[in-house]
Amino acid sequence: MRRTKTSLPLEGLKVIEIAQGIAGPHCGRLLAAFGAEVIKIEPPRGDWSRIVGPFLQDDENIESSATYQYNNSGKKSVVLDIATSKGMTAFKELVSTSDILLEDWDLSDRELLQISNNSFTDSNSSLIEISLTPFGLSGPYSKFTSTPIIQLALGGYLYLTGLPEKEPLMLPGHQPDYLTGLNGNGAVQIALWERDQTGKGQFVEIAMMETLATLHQFTMEMETYEGYVRNRNGNLWQRESAFSNYGITTIECSDGHLCFGISTEDQWERLCVMIGKSEFLEDPQYATRAKRRNNATYLDSLLKEWVGARTREEVMVEASEIWGLPTAPVLGVSEVLEDPQFRHRGLFVEIEHPVTGKTTFPSFSFKTQDMIPVLNRAPLLGEHNKEVLI
Amino acid sequence: MDTAKKPNGSLSGLRVLDLTRVWAGPLATRIYGDYGADVIKISDPRVPLVTENGLNSKLNRNKRNIGLRLDKSEGRNIFLELTSISDVVIENFRPRVMRNLDLTYEILIQTNPHLIMCSMPGFGLEGPYAEYPAFGTTAEALAGIPGLTGYDSSLPISSGMAYGDPVSGLNAVGILLTALRQRNITGKGQFVDIALAASPACNLGEFFGASSSNGYKPEINGNKSIQYCPHGAYKTKGDDEWIAVSVIDETAWCALVDVIGDTDLKSEKYLLLGNRKKDESFIDGRLSAWFESQESSDAMIQLQNSGVSAGIVSNNRQLLSDPHLNERGFFVDMDEPRFGVKRYDGQSILGNFVDKSNWTTTRDVGESSKEILVELLGYTNADCKKLEQEETVLFQ
Repeated sequence: MRRTKTSLPLEGLKVIEIAQGIAGPHCGRLLAAFGAEVIKIEPPRGDWSRIVGPFLQDDENIESSATYQYNNSGKKSVVLDIATSKGMTAFKELVSTSDILLEDWDLSDRELLQISNNSFTDSNSSLIEISLTPFGLSGPYSKFTSTPIIQLALGGYLYLTGLPEKEPLMLPGHQPDYLTGLNGNGAVQIALWERDQTGKGQFVEIAMMETLATLHQFTMEMETYEGYVRNRNGNLWQRESAFSNYGITTIECSDGHLCFGISTEDQWERLCVMIGKSEFLEDPQYATRAKRRNNATYLDSLLKEWVGARTREEVMVEASEIWGLPTAPVLGVSEVLEDPQFRHRGLFVEIEHPVTGKTTFPSFSFKTQDMIPVLNRAPLLGEHNKEVLI
Repeated sequence: MDTAKKPNGSLSGLRVLDLTRVWAGPLATRIYGDYGADVIKISDPRVPLVTENGLNSKLNRNKRNIGLRLDKSEGRNIFLELTSISDVVIENFRPRVMRNLDLTYEILIQTNPHLIMCSMPGFGLEGPYAEYPAFGTTAEALAGIPGLTGYDSSLPISSGMAYGDPVSGLNAVGILLTALRQRNITGKGQFVDIALAASPACNLGEFFGASSSNGYKPEINGNKSIQYCPHGAYKTKGDDEWIAVSVIDETAWCALVDVIGDTDLKSEKYLLLGNRKKDESFIDGRLSAWFESQESSDAMIQLQNSGVSAGIVSNNRQLLSDPHLNERGFFVDMDEPRFGVKRYDGQSILGNFVDKSNWTTTRDVGESSKEILVELLGYTNADCKKLEQEETVLFQ
């Protein structure tokens, strides 16, 4: 995409990011990509994600964390210890001339640092402060600590993943943090929309647990409308309730697994024809979704037979192009990087870093026509101390 | 400039035409609706709204609804008229649907050059899989989620919740408002293509970075963690009740051992993560034995009060009655016309959204047709009658 440089929508905005880890930084990454100046404030030992793996080099050092590099593209790094009064004074000065503050102080931090919810927005009325914490700033869990598995557990995700009766499984990496970062970006954009009209900023609180609790399709409705506990079903879909269905399943091919996402009646009908079982369409045993779901083991075996010794790609092409059925290969990490669709889309980009060299990271899930986000490398610890503080 | 908060929500004044179905799209526009945008859902009058299972009611609150046949020329014209007075059009059909309706971005900007249009197809608008149908579960498979989830490497496990959808929905919320800000600067519209399958991949950035750089291949090993130990879900008292525990450092480890009072685990060697990892199954066995007789909620509170990260593995029932969410006023009770008062998740972005007491339940297909045609587009009652007779618009 070679085009003349056009201005980006967040140019001219100054963002102070003192939030560490993944949630706040992932949000800041989006702001930086669209032109905001994002100044990342790190404690002397660095953002904690600098010591979280995976690492890009065998030598695990604070500049080689993939988690840090991915989420801190295009930012400036400034080291300030706000636990000291000098550090706090410098920090407050930076915030006083900024547009957006991304922070992750929970109640205990706020008490320690003597920061109230309106400390910053009172003295800078156009400031948008986004508070990103595990449980929010009130309520019985507000001093609880968490890691991704704890968030997934309390947010109702963990219970839904895995085989029935077996230990519930966590989603990979830091999903609650990423989701909260995306929610944080939504919050920033909503508050900016309002500020662009009124000139006034605001304090916006986001709790990770509540973020997850709003990201359920029908989990709570199974209880409130039908009285079912939604449970985990391995690679199959619900057995009970109005959401019972067959056709969301995973089948082994010659070179790995393929996921089927058959969810509508017309897709079910085509599935039956595809596997040579048109008679199922008249068979009372398959008359309802619940009945099909109860026959899942048998239906899986028929589908497996139909798949035969073919590869994931061969099956996907036939199922998609001839039968109009949603399928996709279950890809491993290195396979995702090579997937032809993602390659065509330019999903992955190579970023050069002075310590770790070239690394390929995802860009963004969206493609925009005339507003091309910029992805620059993550900063070294304290790389911009001079530029920002002097 | 007015210095007060906008009285009807941050996004009042923003108008969104919503052609989306199922989850990802409706989730995005629900956030706009909660924040006061005028979200107009366009529904096919021939397809009744399913409300028995609560899904549509949950995702389509605070939106208006017009029942409109886009495949009829009169209906298509009405859509174009609405486009001319809207800021955003959002859809999640397969790419060919909008082409067949002759309602592509290129057509729509002729009506409204300031329009932001968003398409949310499964794999994106272009590329080898562009026309392939998709579903949230297949999207997450391509993105690598089940490939990284499982008890071991023999069987990948899906999220169980069509994870491509919520990630895409959240992406849409932010990027469309960013595009609107760009429009306010340049005066020009924008087209945004969000691929359901690309969204979860962007939540796994560190895995791809490390894989590309040094061939990093994470071990698929249940809930085990390379940095924390013990780490996992443990069965507690009760039917399928569990507690998740995550010991992040030596201090938390000592606190855990104190709480469960296990002298065998008191050994000095276990202060080191490496030694705990070595004996992880032994440690897990001791923990499992202790948790088996515990109430999950009591154990969580006891552990958290002692400085150990722990959380009950909430099912839907426990989520709805969770004391923290309830004390924070997270939920909203809405009086559904056919089902009485139902409890839903509220808003997770605690900014200037429309006061919950003013939230409206999901409108049925065509419930707002009249007010939209008459008040927004200046149609007369006679015009409406004609559109109804021709079955172009459904009025309810």
